Amino acid sequence: MTLPTKFNYYRPKILDEALKLMDDLSIRGKVIAGGTDLIAGVRARKITLPENIIDINHIKQLNFIDDGGDVINIGATTKLSEISSSQIVGRKAPILTETISHMASPQIRNMGTIGGNLCNASPAADTAPPLLVLDAKVEKRSIHGGKVIPISEFFSEPGKTVVGPNELLTKIQIPAQSPSDRWRFVKLGRRKAFTLSIISITMLLKIEDANFKDVKIALGAVAPIPLRITRAEAFLRGKSVSDDIIDEAARIAKEEVKPISDVRASEEYRREMAYVLTKNALINLSKGI
Amino acid sequence: MKTTGYVNVSLNVNGRSYEVEAEPRTLLIDLLRNTLKIKSVRRGCEEGECGACTVLLNGKPIYSCLTLAVQVDGAEILTVEGLIKDEKMHSLMQAFIENYAVQCGYCTPGMILAAYYLLNTVENPTEEDIRRSVSGNLCRCTGYVNIIKAIKDTVRRKKRENQIKVTKGDAPYKV
Amino acid sequence: MASSVVEWKGERDIRLMSGKGCYIDDVELPNMVYCLLLGSTHAHARIKNIDVDKALRVPGVIMILTGKDLVNVMDPLPANADYRSFGWHWRIPKVYPLATDKVRFMGEPVAAVIAEDPYKASDALGLIEVEYEPLPVVIDAVKGMEANSPLLYDEWGDNIQAHVTFNFGDIDATFSEADRIIKVSWRERRVSGFPIEPRGCVAWYDGSTDTLNVWSSTQTPLLAQQFIARALRISINKVRVVAPDVGGAFGNKLNWWKDVIVCAASIITGRPIKWFENRRENFATGPHQRDVIWHGEVAVKDDGRILGVKAKFIVDVGVEGTNRGAGAPSIVPASCSVPNAYKIKALHVDAYAIVTNKSFYCAYRGYGKDKGIKFMERIVDIVGRELNVPPEEVRFRNFIQPNEFPYKQISGYVYDSGDYPHVLKKALEMIDINTWRDKRGLRGRSKYLGIGMAFTVEPGGGAISHSIFNAITLARIKITPDGTVEAYTDQTEIGQGSKVVTAQVVSDILGVKITDVVVHPTSSDITGAGPWSSRGAVYSLSAAAKAAKKLRERVFKAGSKVLNEDIENIEIKDSTVYSTKDPSKRMSMKDLALYIYFFPGPRGLQKELQLEHETLLDVSETWFSPNTAQNPTSTYTTYCSSADIAVVEVDVGTGDVEILRYVHVHDAGKIINREVVEGQIHGGVVQGIGEALSEDLTYDESGRLLAASYMDYVMPTALDAPNIEVGHVETLSPFTELGTKGMGEAPAIGSKVVIINAIEDALSPFNIVITDAPATKEKIWRWVFQSMKGHSR
Repeated sequence: MTLPTKFNYYRPKILDEALKLMDDLSIRGKVIAGGTDLIAGVRARKITLPENIIDINHIKQLNFIDDGGDVINIGATTKLSEISSSQIVGRKAPILTETISHMASPQIRNMGTIGGNLCNASPAADTAPPLLVLDAKVEKRSIHGGKVIPISEFFSEPGKTVVGPNELLTKIQIPAQSPSDRWRFVKLGRRKAFTLSIISITMLLKIEDANFKDVKIALGAVAPIPLRITRAEAFLRGKSVSDDIIDEAARIAKEEVKPISDVRASEEYRREMAYVLTKNALINLSKGI
Repeated sequence: MKTTGYVNVSLNVNGRSYEVEAEPRTLLIDLLRNTLKIKSVRRGCEEGECGACTVLLNGKPIYSCLTLAVQVDGAEILTVEGLIKDEKMHSLMQAFIENYAVQCGYCTPGMILAAYYLLNTVENPTEEDIRRSVSGNLCRCTGYVNIIKAIKDTVRRKKRENQIKVTKGDAPYKV
Repeated sequence: MASSVVEWKGERDIRLMSGKGCYIDDVELPNMVYCLLLGSTHAHARIKNIDVDKALRVPGVIMILTGKDLVNVMDPLPANADYRSFGWHWRIPKVYPLATDKVRFMGEPVAAVIAEDPYKASDALGLIEVEYEPLPVVIDAVKGMEANSPLLYDEWGDNIQAHVTFNFGDIDATFSEADRIIKVSWRERRVSGFPIEPRGCVAWYDGSTDTLNVWSSTQTPLLAQQFIARALRISINKVRVVAPDVGGAFGNKLNWWKDVIVCAASIITGRPIKWFENRRENFATGPHQRDVIWHGEVAVKDDGRILGVKAKFIVDVGVEGTNRGAGAPSIVPASCSVPNAYKIKALHVDAYAIVTNKSFYCAYRGYGKDKGIKFMERIVDIVGRELNVPPEEVRFRNFIQPNEFPYKQISGYVYDSGDYPHVLKKALEMIDINTWRDKRGLRGRSKYLGIGMAFTVEPGGGAISHSIFNAITLARIKITPDGTVEAYTDQTEIGQGSKVVTAQVVSDILGVKITDVVVHPTSSDITGAGPWSSRGAVYSLSAAAKAAKKLRERVFKAGSKVLNEDIENIEIKDSTVYSTKDPSKRMSMKDLALYIYFFPGPRGLQKELQLEHETLLDVSETWFSPNTAQNPTSTYTTYCSSADIAVVEVDVGTGDVEILRYVHVHDAGKIINREVVEGQIHGGVVQGIGEALSEDLTYDESGRLLAASYMDYVMPTALDAPNIEVGHVETLSPFTELGTKGMGEAPAIGSKVVIINAIEDALSPFNIVITDAPATKEKIWRWVFQSMKGHSR
């Protein structure tokens, strides 16, 4: 049984205070927002707690959902359940609503934050694929300034992002889905709820004159970092909607992923499911289902 | 605001205000059970995978085993003990009894809080809504069959009561 | 349920729902301290050194115990089952609850920290330094049987804890009569119950009364008492064990080896000590189950008759199956339950219990009986497919017929009663089998619909000699001077509804209002083996009924004297004793009891009543099974039956399985409380479904348990559980007081195999025979994939 070891607790009230703490080498420690990953990690003995913990959950500047017209801005410490029940997100980025509704359990979604899920950077992180297909951007800040990066450049390796040790992820900018976008999200887990993804697919599709005008596909839990299946996307663009084309695209997706074998599934199964899920999603969306 | 050693945690739990001195590392479940002696909050796994420790934080269900007490400093916590006099909770508990939804009883408080939250937020929940609302609460005794029945039963009762109220000319119930 | 019964049960429900219950972690005593256990980080290793110095210096730490300390204060853990006197190959290792020289599974406790609070204990745990010398690991039971395998117990020379060969009928003659012989293999992976409340105990050695008081989240306080007393070399009468509210058990709480550590620590320190395990500890060190391999042959006639079965049976009992729990004896019911519902002529099982570097083996809903039944139900389906006979037909052609009971099965079990054809027919009607048969096959692009069925005859009760699973049962019913009827039974309430059913039986027999009945929590004061093996409805309820009947006679006698009425005219109803001839002659039970106990003055009570000591309104009765007494090989008393039928849709693209319909018809004799029975069915069915689709305690090669928590040991959530339709049949048992039969395990048995059978049916276009459970998505996909590539299965 491992209970948390002792630590010093800091609760900055405003962003600048948090950034100052993170810049101070003697204090810089682990950041928590919802804290669910942290405590679960301690219990599973996957994390040793540092001496200092900085709780950013009460910084109002980081907790918001903003309707910016054709962009939605979401603060990093916004709770997952706030996002999935938000009318703004429901109207403008329903694919994000759908994905988040299938994450973990209601209780986890009421504490967990979008920033926390992104910064934990699990290859199976469920918030990443929808942000990837929506071409979202994220903003990170340090006391010295801020930078906006495309989400595709956010993850570096399993468990790691480009957020530096003295930086905080502050907000996510999500371009709204176009109303003509068809979209689909499917999660394959070992049971129907409260489960880590073996693989997931998030897809946005534009079909015009029986051709694939634009396709955006992200497959979750099948690569060291969350992945857009760009070669399959490029193949589909401009091609006619047909069984052969769909099958070929699914084959390309199968080659493009880099899954591993773990306690949840084998590499072979994940790779094959990349094919199956891509094919199913393309067929379903092109039939208007 | 930095603190070492012990911190002051202020909580409103079940309508009473508490000021407790605790280590930052103290988990909410330990504060509630060990210090405040609130026993409906149960230890099932202590890593956020079974729901037996569910409490309502500012009205929303969370896992108290995954939360540090300091994180929720200043918040309002509700457990079944604090909702005994609540009319909706009373209906729910009655339905659980009448539908034989309680076997060993260990998962029940967590289950009931999750269901209570559903009743507060969704007006006409479907069976899938109901199952989804308690998908973060594991039960090994009942196979969930009578739990779902009990929640459906409560929804039906609420609807009937609302109808009666409305035909009597009263203002409709706030759901 | 009648509203008075609902009200009665409702009181308990409210208490538990609103936090007023007292589960083991709610038990608090003044001056209580906490015990945490340090688990080994190796699956197999010698312990070279344990350094507790740094840990001892953590403020608040009172004591740290290691195996070396325990060896001085206790005997090795007693064996829970010993069949060496039967001439069986049966080994009993020397086991202490804290490892002494070697650790034999990852997580095996090596030290116990006693501290003022759990956080301090946790800090101390982190500072204990253990030096291990790793040894080669045995993770595969079959490999563990090979000649050059590493050994868990050097003195054994091999890893075979038990080996028994069962021979019933003439197997060679039977096989020579066969039209064909079909090979059948079947494997169940490692699984366990994991009730939402893990194990825990509070031990307090009270020096002032020289008593060791123990509260334990256990199924049987009596068995805990004798186990702890024997281990710690104390007189049994100095140990008292009480079961508080128990948050589920399913067989997983019939072990007390960790309680022994806590008790020893309390004796040494004189402090009350609480140990409550967290889920990871429970996974790594809890009782495990299933994990069996069958390789067999079945001899059949072309018309579908099953003549006989031969099999080799291997169960992986982990570190051992005799001391921490009692898993090794399960090979007996596993072998003897193979005939199931059928009239087969011969059975030969070569059964092995093999030790490996995994947690210990004990009981989980089915124990051993389930293994043979599931193997047979796989056989039946395979036989049907091979002979092109519908699965229900194979069953109808082989069923024991309703007029053949009591039926002496070739294994020695005497089946009490049943109407198997009726139960199966009812299930077929309920599910409307023909409509679903029309829908079998491909639906949509990649989904296949299949129908599965399974029939279970579950032996219930249990009188197994030379083990802790014996027949003793006592029930005590008394009427107190305030009119309350108090019942004491050994049927610990673990969520199975034992208290409400006991109250109903007592209230019905005695004629008192159920609201006047109190059923006390179970403690070691009651001499009874407790609830396991569906024993409650057989032994405990029979004893309670017998005691209530006797008490009723005494009430009649006392009532007739006190009311001055002939005994033939006395009746009891609604807690009132009255004369049927002259209803104005009446007395409440309360007043009668008051009169009998505290008669006013020496002239107050009639002389006859004073001289007749048999009017004391306090009766204890024991109950033994006539079935077992007359047929010693029938170690079980009642044999309930059930039919499960399931319709599934399998997506061969992903391996996903959707359960479209589920029907369960059961026959457990007299039903006392329908909701209680249905509750057991719902819970058991969903457990079986979990085992069929996703539950698997996987270990890696180094002996690390990978399915180490509720996230990786995949149990059904509310979204996974289907709607379950239940039908009832009541064929009373001639062998119990009320005609009741134990039924708690059957639902978890048929359900696992029915889902497997249904999936196999759905996959019939691919010619797949399923030999391995769970049938996870990935496995189903792989079977289809390999079949399509032309690989032989």
